[in-house]
Amino acid sequence: MAFVEQHIHDAPTSFWSKYIVSYDHKVIGKQFLWFGIFWLLVGGLMALLIRWTLAYPGVPFPVIGNLLFPHTDGVVPPDTYAMLFTMHGTIMIFFAITPILIGAFGNFCIPLMIGARDMIFPTLNMLSFWFSMASGVLLLASLCLPLGAAAGGWTSYPTLSTNIGQPGLGQTLWLLSLFLFGVSSTMGAVNYITTVITLRAPGMGYFKMPLTIWGLWLTAILNAIFVPVLGAGLLLLTFDRVFGTTFFLAGAAATSGKGDPVLFQHVFWIFGHPEVYILILPAWGIVSDLLSFFARKPAFGYKMTALSLSAITVLSTVVYGHHMYTTQMSPLMTQSFMTLTMLISIPSAIFFANWLGTLWKGSIRFHSPMLFSLGVVFVFGLGGLTGLYLASTSIDLYLHDTYFVVGHFHYTMAASVLLGGFAGTYFWFPKMFGRMMNEKLAKWHFWCTMIPLNGIFTGMMVVGYGGMHRRLYNPFIYEFLQKLVPINIFITVCAVLMGAAQFIFIYNFVHTIFFKKEVAPANPWEVGTLEWEIPSPAPHYNFKDIPHVKCGPHELGNPNLKNGRDFQYQTEEWVKA
Amino acid sequence: MKSTSQEYRELQHSIGMTVTLISFGMMFASLFLGYFLVRFNSPVWPPVEIAQLPKLLPLLSTVVIGLSSLTYYWFEMKKRSSKWLVLTLVLGLLFLGLQWSLWAKMKEVGILVSHGMVPSMVYAFSWLHAGHIVLGLFFLSWLLLRKMDQDLWVKNVGKFWHFLGIIWLMMYLMLFVQ
Repeated sequence: MAFVEQHIHDAPTSFWSKYIVSYDHKVIGKQFLWFGIFWLLVGGLMALLIRWTLAYPGVPFPVIGNLLFPHTDGVVPPDTYAMLFTMHGTIMIFFAITPILIGAFGNFCIPLMIGARDMIFPTLNMLSFWFSMASGVLLLASLCLPLGAAAGGWTSYPTLSTNIGQPGLGQTLWLLSLFLFGVSSTMGAVNYITTVITLRAPGMGYFKMPLTIWGLWLTAILNAIFVPVLGAGLLLLTFDRVFGTTFFLAGAAATSGKGDPVLFQHVFWIFGHPEVYILILPAWGIVSDLLSFFARKPAFGYKMTALSLSAITVLSTVVYGHHMYTTQMSPLMTQSFMTLTMLISIPSAIFFANWLGTLWKGSIRFHSPMLFSLGVVFVFGLGGLTGLYLASTSIDLYLHDTYFVVGHFHYTMAASVLLGGFAGTYFWFPKMFGRMMNEKLAKWHFWCTMIPLNGIFTGMMVVGYGGMHRRLYNPFIYEFLQKLVPINIFITVCAVLMGAAQFIFIYNFVHTIFFKKEVAPANPWEVGTLEWEIPSPAPHYNFKDIPHVKCGPHELGNPNLKNGRDFQYQTEEWVKA
Repeated sequence: MKSTSQEYRELQHSIGMTVTLISFGMMFASLFLGYFLVRFNSPVWPPVEIAQLPKLLPLLSTVVIGLSSLTYYWFEMKKRSSKWLVLTLVLGLLFLGLQWSLWAKMKEVGILVSHGMVPSMVYAFSWLHAGHIVLGLFFLSWLLLRKMDQDLWVKNVGKFWHFLGIIWLMMYLMLFVQ
């Protein structure tokens, strides 16, 4: 392929052009990071409100309860509870994980790690951020409506989300907000895909890309293909609500004509299943890289990891039916979906074994990014194994919509992605902001997060196995669930502890950015990928000269290296091990 | 002659546009998936309880949008003279007018959005398509005013416009020809 000259533009000077309407991928990445952290806090507060209600039904929420719910003396009312779990899911998936993992790391890492000066379409990139901002504002606005925000669950199944189930503007705003968000992330995806295809530095073949880039790129592909499917579903549901079409209306919800509520489930999960891989693939990529970097060993089976991630990407598109076993699907269909779903465990087992192979006999450095990466290995292993139970139709019929499912997807999607996101944040922080985060606080943050986190989600699986259904305001009105009160209190205590632990991170993050004077070295972690060859923080033009790549990203611990280091940069001539 | 770097730039944008069109295509594909699910689950097709859909207007709009693709093709391939581009724009506007009268006509014969799956689909699909046509017309005018001499933009706007033509042809076959 030919290589095109990438010009160096003058650095913007005014505050407005530098931090607000910036075209620079690094600034947009940071904007997404702040955006995501803000929503992470909002979603986390909602999670605590939910947990409090489940542990102490009818007891006022401490400290801020009276402020939030003055009409009920601080008790979370039932309709607000439904709104809270809906918004918690929506916010965490679309406004916290997506901006942090895909928006922040995607924008920041892709050009730096493939040796480009910027994304290929910088304007599109900026628009992508401002579309997310607009959709965030819409979602916030929906929280302030008299009838409340959407409360039909994050999946918004009709008839819960039709005008009968959800009168008022809340659900409509939710639909519009998510549609805008879909447009924004599709813009991002087009940008990422094209950038990776066309702007890789000379010598950077696909199999010389860091696995982070593999993860982000595959995510972008899934995103470009499947987020528009959600868009179609959202638009049709909006039409149902606003213009009176009857796509998803049936029974009492339809005044005339008849539609099919299950149709929405099909559309939603055709998008929804790839979506969980959209969320997790970047974290897998980051962890695959970090394990190798901190074990000071080449990534075990690099090519197989990349290929199995690709295989998962392909498989993830044909398994969506496992979310719908209980919708009277024909047994032939459930069997096929079950088989396809189980197939995913093969590539997953391959890259998981590769992770362990990377760690095996490595001289591991337990820096904070490594701790978080090891955390991902642990929680993803646990979460992935419980997925096998749910994939099997006969077990799923009993576990469907119980807290076992909630525990499972929180382990895989929430815990793995959260820990992966923290790993990435601690790892690239010096390159982003030019300072090192306090390592001691980071380690405290890890343990104070990791231990309660497992308490929460293992606890959820246990109560789910005990028969507790999700989305119940007060499950303990059922006699057989009353024995589960103590363990629910345990989960809530863990949740509060984990929530409190995040303030360690916030303090560390804000303090390091604004008050720490010490400048970080260019390559604090002693890693050979392209972004560590340039100064910290990365300069405006990224690379003075476009680098020429000569070896893979994980050339660590080679005894034949004569340069006094145990790693080599990607621009150096490859030394045979 | 184009320089290598110019050609490479065109390639980059062409890849970007292709990915974008895949995204748009998936959006329409999900609509069509819904259509087929409904169609194969219903005992009679088309359902008998609704009035006959207009025949002539959708046929006309299909012809018009087909012609507009042709005029754009001539603009792109032959002369690159603005008259073909203006003609494309006019045909696009005419298409929108025809869609408008299709909706009016359907209302006149008593087919309303709330009358079940088929009217819902006819209306919603043509609304969504018309929305994209508006976007396409915006691109065409922008091309006419600003970027007519640049291959890159001519090609990419063309891709989008032809894509919309193909989508409408599929919608026409599904909804009106049956």
